[in-house]
Amino acid sequence: MGTIKLQNINKSFGKTEVLNDLNLEIKDGEFLTLVGPSGCGKSTLLRIIAGLEQQTSGDVFIDNKNVNKTRASERDLAMVFQSYALYPHLTVRRNLETPLRLRDYSGLERIPLLGNLFPNKKNKTKKIQDLVHKTSETLKITELLDRKPGQLSGGQRQRAALGRAMVREPVAFLMDEPLSNLDAALRVHMRSELSELHANLKTTFIYVTHDQAEALTMSTRMAVMIDGKLLQLDTPQQVYDNPSSLSVAQFVGSPKINTIKGSINSDGTVKFLNLELHRTSSIKNTNVIIGIRPEHLEISKDHADNSIEGVVSYRENLGSDMFFHIEISGDNEKLIARGTPQLTSSISIGSKVFVKRLKGEALLFDQSGSRIKFTSDN
Amino acid sequence: MHYSRAHIWFVGPAVLLMFVILIFPILLAGGISFTNYNLGNPSFDWIGLENYDKMFSRKTYIKMIWATATYVLIVVPFSVVIGLCAAMLLNSLRFGADIYKTIFFLPVMATLLAMAIAWEFTLHPTMGLVNSFLANGCGGMREFVLGFHWLPWVNSNASWYHIACENNNDFPFWLKDRGYAIWTVCFIGVWQAFGFNMVLYLAGLTSIPRELYHAAEMDGAKSTWEQFKLVTWPMLGPTTLFVITITTIRSFQVFDTIEVLTKGGPSKSTYVMMYAIFEKAIQQNLTSIGAAITVVFIAFVILLTFFQRYVIEKRVHY
Amino acid sequence: MKNNHYIGEGWKHAVLIIGALVVLLPFYMVVSISLKSQQEIQSISGGLIGAQEVQTFPVCTKMGMSEETCTMKPYVYNYWFAFKKAPIARYLLNGLFVTVSIFLIQVLIALPCAYALSKLRFYGREFIFSMVLFCLLIPVHAIALPLYVMLAKIGLVDTYAALIIPWTISVFGIFLMRQFFMTVPDELIDAARMDGMGEYSIVWKVMLPTAIPALLAFAIFSVVAHWNDYFWPRIVITGNRDLFTPPLGIREFRGGVDSDEFGPMMASIVTITVPLVVAFIIAQKRFIEGITMTGMK
Repeated sequence: MGTIKLQNINKSFGKTEVLNDLNLEIKDGEFLTLVGPSGCGKSTLLRIIAGLEQQTSGDVFIDNKNVNKTRASERDLAMVFQSYALYPHLTVRRNLETPLRLRDYSGLERIPLLGNLFPNKKNKTKKIQDLVHKTSETLKITELLDRKPGQLSGGQRQRAALGRAMVREPVAFLMDEPLSNLDAALRVHMRSELSELHANLKTTFIYVTHDQAEALTMSTRMAVMIDGKLLQLDTPQQVYDNPSSLSVAQFVGSPKINTIKGSINSDGTVKFLNLELHRTSSIKNTNVIIGIRPEHLEISKDHADNSIEGVVSYRENLGSDMFFHIEISGDNEKLIARGTPQLTSSISIGSKVFVKRLKGEALLFDQSGSRIKFTSDN
Repeated sequence: MHYSRAHIWFVGPAVLLMFVILIFPILLAGGISFTNYNLGNPSFDWIGLENYDKMFSRKTYIKMIWATATYVLIVVPFSVVIGLCAAMLLNSLRFGADIYKTIFFLPVMATLLAMAIAWEFTLHPTMGLVNSFLANGCGGMREFVLGFHWLPWVNSNASWYHIACENNNDFPFWLKDRGYAIWTVCFIGVWQAFGFNMVLYLAGLTSIPRELYHAAEMDGAKSTWEQFKLVTWPMLGPTTLFVITITTIRSFQVFDTIEVLTKGGPSKSTYVMMYAIFEKAIQQNLTSIGAAITVVFIAFVILLTFFQRYVIEKRVHY
Repeated sequence: MKNNHYIGEGWKHAVLIIGALVVLLPFYMVVSISLKSQQEIQSISGGLIGAQEVQTFPVCTKMGMSEETCTMKPYVYNYWFAFKKAPIARYLLNGLFVTVSIFLIQVLIALPCAYALSKLRFYGREFIFSMVLFCLLIPVHAIALPLYVMLAKIGLVDTYAALIIPWTISVFGIFLMRQFFMTVPDELIDAARMDGMGEYSIVWKVMLPTAIPALLAFAIFSVVAHWNDYFWPRIVITGNRDLFTPPLGIREFRGGVDSDEFGPMMASIVTITVPLVVAFIIAQKRFIEGITMTGMK
């Protein structure tokens, strides 16, 4: 079982409060990502789960047991560090063997030469070596076992660090931005490898990253943290389609969601720029912020009703998609709309364009950033 | 890279001086060692290996090698280990580390000669604090020490402390007693050297990435000893090599303490090589035998340093 | 868990304090004796500073001075007598002169050489660097004897030159500065060349300013080592008291002293040792950083 529960976790360093009344339940076997901008407290939270940091107040439960007083080495969790933290003076094989040797050999058996006199040691050694071999095969690092970390590439070191975590067959894996030191192509490749690994091992993975793309692609559920608070805990699709607040909506999704100021009148009609939404708001008579994702905007050179007029100021060509940055005529606001690269020929910088929105995709937020529901939503 | 003639003037003086002041003297010493030349004599004869033969057969010189070896083999391990322990202790303190650091580094800075005399006084049989402290302790402290009579070497009636107290406070003459002198001199050597090693180890400790300790903790290394074996000691490898090399070279060159406190005695128990060179060649003007000792000394040091630097270095780096 | 932490701290401090006491013991003795009267010294009484009773000192009157001049408090007497008996100020000045001269010449010789070894290309560069590495293995004290013979032959024994010359070549300094110079970007030097600077100016106007931290470390290392050096001056200064460096001064005092003049002897030790110790305490961070840096390179 690999369930982890965090209750009312607070953490301050001196006067600075880093985590604020955090509650989180992690289910057995899921891939849970803690995602958020730098400094939001996610690494600190991971270390609190690991036991490397003590929370100022609150409780940590692993498999329904309170582990506040248990030290990190006894919580049966494995951690993969951002810098991999492999022992530089040991071969990869020894690196992988270390946690097993520390756990399985008794103190006396570990003495270099005399320890071999103990009868059981041979069996234990064989078991350890088999386990290490099996793990190295899964991670495809068998040829690297006799090298030292200094002789490995970034990706190889990462897999060695993973191996060291895996050999222990822990209750859960904790990963602190393990991919951030790799180059872009390798990172994308490792994402799928990690996901495969998770599917095979079926163990709980708790993964920390600041890259929302990683969170979206790999997680079973993602926990969005900003400024020490947990803002939303949901599946990636839900977080993307149904953000609980403006901060979450702006953090997830690239390019960033478009935000436009608008207002709601007394019968709940939402107005912004020169448009009106079809759906009505549940709250009335207030100013709002409307969020629309770039892929929900259609761009064209031809005039259309109910569209926003603007001038293209910049184009981002990503090969498969084209993102147009548009300055709205008669307004200070800017929009980013997704288009196909085929439109390049007709729309260039300076072109006048008309932007239509796809129906039913707008998100409403009040001035403080909380989500406002439409009357048609449940 | 720039091609230029300037280099001649830049390296010229240095090269010249290196040759004249460092390399040539070695050759000169080698040459003199094969003669019976004494400074001031107008002429000399070649006597081949006679000087070296004397060195390895006469009792005095055997004692010289013994004294030097003892000193080095005591001072190096003790000052390195104490330096390491002090560094680790200081590194884990919450406050006050700087004060201790300054205090422990003071002996390194202070003129060794002055401090040797200071220790001479502290260890003086009648005027020194140490013996008076031991004498005062003949009452209460003796009971305390003898309380440990379950330890093998503290047998209540035979223990040294007990006997000394009984015999009218007859505590050792630390520097005048043949049995104690070399150990006392070693003690002063360790006292003077450990602060330097401590500072180097402190630098080494701070360069160990903290995440390695976290990884060790997660892997199950619970006690300080286990973390030391897995992370601290291996990562300190290069530092340790450097510390041992430096301390060894400095220990070989010990002179001040001996010259001012024991003059090689009593009965040559502290007759280290540098002092032997001084006594034979400068004071007694036996230049040739002094040259022979110099050659042997240099050979020892160069070989040892070479061994430490180039042979062990490979194993210690990662 | 928090309680254990504080108890652990307590033990650590206990051990460290005992260590500190052992380390400071001789310092305490020296200061204490330098303040006390002879009787108190020999009977180990009077605590740290002694009772300080005014008394007349027989050795002083033996030297021919009036009873009145020779009557004062012990601590005044010790220091006054020390200065009277030996030219301590002279010794200190000698120390200053010798160490500063040594350091300046070392820099003069080592810096251009280090620059050439790190930034210039010329035939024989590798060979010369190997020479430097080899010389690093030679402890200078070891070759004191042949150096002494050489100096005696050219009649330079008992001179300032003898005190300074053997140390002018600091292979350690060359090595240290070379390592440091190698980290200076080539572009900086090329820019200077484009500006028309000659190689010599480059050494002093471009390389020197960037190397101040390393130079400072080296300065500390050199000054301390040579101020405290006893062996070489002992060999090379055979008669001329005026040339005594501080350690020799201390030695002389001890050698020639009447058996009951411990007070003044310790006073001389205190005076001679104080400059370095005080400098150290004021600038300890710098000192320790310096030693560490030279070590790591």
